[in-house]
Amino acid sequence: MSQVRMFASAALAGALALGLAACGSSGSSVSGASPIKVPKGIQTPQTQAQSGGKHGGTLTVLNQTDFEHIDPGQAYFNIDYEVVHATQRPLYSYKPNTFAAPSPDMASGPGQISADGKTITIQIRHGVHFSPPVNREVTSADVAYAIERGANANVANPYFLSYFSSLVGASKATGGPFPGLTTPDRYTIVLHLTEPRAQIVLDALVLPLSAPVPEEFAKPLDAKKPTEYGNYQVATGPYMLESDGAGKVLGIGYQPGKSATLVRNPNWSASTDSRPAYLDQIDVKIGGDTTVIGRQVLEGSGMVQNEAPAQSIVKLAYEKFRSQLEISPGAGDHYIAVDNKQGPFADINVRKAFWAALDRTALNKARGGALVTNVMTHFIYPEIPGFEAAGGLAGPQVDYNDYPQGNAVLAAKYMKLAGYPSGKYTGSKTLQVVGSTGSPSAEDAEIVNQTLKNLGFQTKFNLVDSSVMYSKYCGVPAEAIDVCPNVAWGADFGDPQAVLDVPFNGKNIVSTANNNWGLVNNPEINKAMDAAESIVGTQARAAAWASIDRKLVAQAVAIPFDWDKQPNIESSNVAGVGDLWDSGEWDYSYTSLK
Amino acid sequence: MTRYIIRRILWGVLLLIAVTALTFVLFRILPTGDPARLRAGRNASPQVIAEIRHNLGLDKSLLAQFWIYMKEVFLHFNLGFSYYSSAPVRSLIANRLGATVSLAVGASIVWLGIGLPIGIVSALRRRSLLDRASMGSALVLVSAPEYWLGLIALYLFAADIGKVKIFPGAGSYVGLTSDPWKWFTSLLLPWLVLAAGSAAIYARLMRSSLTETMGEDYIRTARAKGLSERRVVMRHGVRAAINPIMTILALDIATLLGSAVLVETVFDIPGIGRLNYDAITHSDFPIVQGTVLLGALFIVVANILVDIAYAYLDPRVRYS
Repeated sequence: MSQVRMFASAALAGALALGLAACGSSGSSVSGASPIKVPKGIQTPQTQAQSGGKHGGTLTVLNQTDFEHIDPGQAYFNIDYEVVHATQRPLYSYKPNTFAAPSPDMASGPGQISADGKTITIQIRHGVHFSPPVNREVTSADVAYAIERGANANVANPYFLSYFSSLVGASKATGGPFPGLTTPDRYTIVLHLTEPRAQIVLDALVLPLSAPVPEEFAKPLDAKKPTEYGNYQVATGPYMLESDGAGKVLGIGYQPGKSATLVRNPNWSASTDSRPAYLDQIDVKIGGDTTVIGRQVLEGSGMVQNEAPAQSIVKLAYEKFRSQLEISPGAGDHYIAVDNKQGPFADINVRKAFWAALDRTALNKARGGALVTNVMTHFIYPEIPGFEAAGGLAGPQVDYNDYPQGNAVLAAKYMKLAGYPSGKYTGSKTLQVVGSTGSPSAEDAEIVNQTLKNLGFQTKFNLVDSSVMYSKYCGVPAEAIDVCPNVAWGADFGDPQAVLDVPFNGKNIVSTANNNWGLVNNPEINKAMDAAESIVGTQARAAAWASIDRKLVAQAVAIPFDWDKQPNIESSNVAGVGDLWDSGEWDYSYTSLK
Repeated sequence: MTRYIIRRILWGVLLLIAVTALTFVLFRILPTGDPARLRAGRNASPQVIAEIRHNLGLDKSLLAQFWIYMKEVFLHFNLGFSYYSSAPVRSLIANRLGATVSLAVGASIVWLGIGLPIGIVSALRRRSLLDRASMGSALVLVSAPEYWLGLIALYLFAADIGKVKIFPGAGSYVGLTSDPWKWFTSLLLPWLVLAAGSAAIYARLMRSSLTETMGEDYIRTARAKGLSERRVVMRHGVRAAINPIMTILALDIATLLGSAVLVETVFDIPGIGRLNYDAITHSDFPIVQGTVLLGALFIVVANILVDIAYAYLDPRVRYS
């Protein structure tokens, strides 16, 4: 459940505000098994060949944005994952074309869950070595240390407590060993849980926190405030950030705001890894103008852009360089959070009226139209298990969900049911509406604000920077914001719990940094979520969480409008392979030059 | 003169302290992003955010934070470290300074080299075709936004995406020491774009200043003494007319050193302006404070240099 895809969406939003509305998906063909359609000739992560690439060469990556963190214990953004997943090997990882079934990576096989759901046993591979200067073989103790350091305040991993707090002793851990992690031998790690939450913990092991870190090398660096391990890191993946003899990458393989250079890890062995790793080197250039970058990539050679291109570039690619354009479904949810706890939206009928009244197609048109959006009809998004069971593209059959372009008559019906005989709000409350600046968020917020006015509401409408919107307003319950039109959510891994739990489970409401923006706290839904958390097995979990999704729609807890699709571009001589689990961003370990 | 310079330097230091204080207050009090929250990512628990806040010293009182910061900056020249990369701000700035200095100094040479001769010729040949054409062009160039001009220049003349492939494109910048020729060629287009607007302004300034100067009595006297027209113009006219331009030039260069963000972005030159811009968008306060302080330092130094240059260029100017 990460900001990862949130930020991708924000970038995409900015990129695609205008001009793409005409790029529809008419005449489209189905790509792979995905329910999402893209126009013919455009790649998707599901259609790209993962094998048969040519070995050698240097790929140039043009990114306008710098990385946030390159330390595997801190990395949490799409753009960080570019580097981290090429250089580090978490216990499990997704193949590029899936977001549902993780494969063993540093682990040698699937994790074994005990019958009571409270113990996970994992064997790790033999013969994997750290890059220089550490050089030695990876052991289970390195995996244990990697997870333990997530609790170190100097590392401050953003999701340690969210996913690993059920490990015995984790809630009080400070970076050292705790009883929930044991290593009976060099190649076995056992995770002991206080409650039967094994599946979600196992799922979370695809995150980079589980990538091994050598304690003897990292501990002195982790003692610094904040840790400097990211600047002196070692690798287990096929690539490593270029470094000096001491393993220092800062100023060598990574120059903040300027560049990053990934070279082959001399200690990586193809026999221990399923990734082909065709390229010899990856040069990441940071900065520049997105329209210039886009043209350089489309008209140049050996280049990719590893973030959403500018809207004019997507349009150019769609019209003239279609084979160099990739569209990745499953890039997250965009919805409108309304205050379920107090004010007019505490009434379910007012929420339904708002849902019915909203022209979701208008919001999506502002985001770039059908090429990069799908009208969102429920909360589990495409490519996440449970999507079809929750209603698929059409969504649950409830009348307020049946009119993507809005239905004023139906909205009036629900307002009347809420006790407003005229079909319009006649109360005294002025709604606090806080949206995000920048295109197309601002346009979306304006549409939402106008819809509220059409329903009879008076509003106090504010647009602030996206980070301010979350950190000062929508994420602070005491601010009592009635409507947040620009919130977005994406899963950290392919499990429906990662989509629904944090934003809609009442137990996750906190006083600051709150991600349950609508203060949704429905006892029946909370109970169903708590029960679903302990279910083991993809199918069973998908069914349980799909049922919860339907309950969320029935309660109209938020107003959904966009399932994002992210565009990515490459040069004509690049055989790019995008990661479906990472908004289609190019995977350096699979991409090759033609 | 020495006492005057010392007094100016002391005022400059006071100004720097004031700027530092103002920046500190602005970025901590105005509703900007919470750096601890941003660093933690959006799924972070309140405990994690609190820990980060503690580690970054953001849980101390504003006064304590300010005192620590000022002490480190002015006693140890320690500007802190980036909240994101943990890299020392001082080294980040040092790493970027070369590019910005190259850009600013090179562009100023270009705009002086173009603007001043045009201004002189226009002043001496007022209402001629050349005067009208150059002043008209100046108006167009002054009106053209730098960013737009940069994009147009790239689309027309860049070796990678241009229609007429002449100059290296965006992202081609290399440091002077690594390859002087590449350094020079990679900066040609940015220099021209950055200089275009300023050259136009300087041409107009030079024209008006020289026009006024050429009407002075001492110019008539110089001519009456039988000096050549070239000598009259260059030694007596231009030398006096250039004084106000020197003032602006020093401040313009100083400003550019801190804020050439648009041209740095469009040409992908990793300079101070872009560092500052990226830091603002990430609420990376230490970098913002460091770059603003650097910008202020440039302005203060430039002002002092201008005052000294004034005294040198115009013998009538003397300070007590």
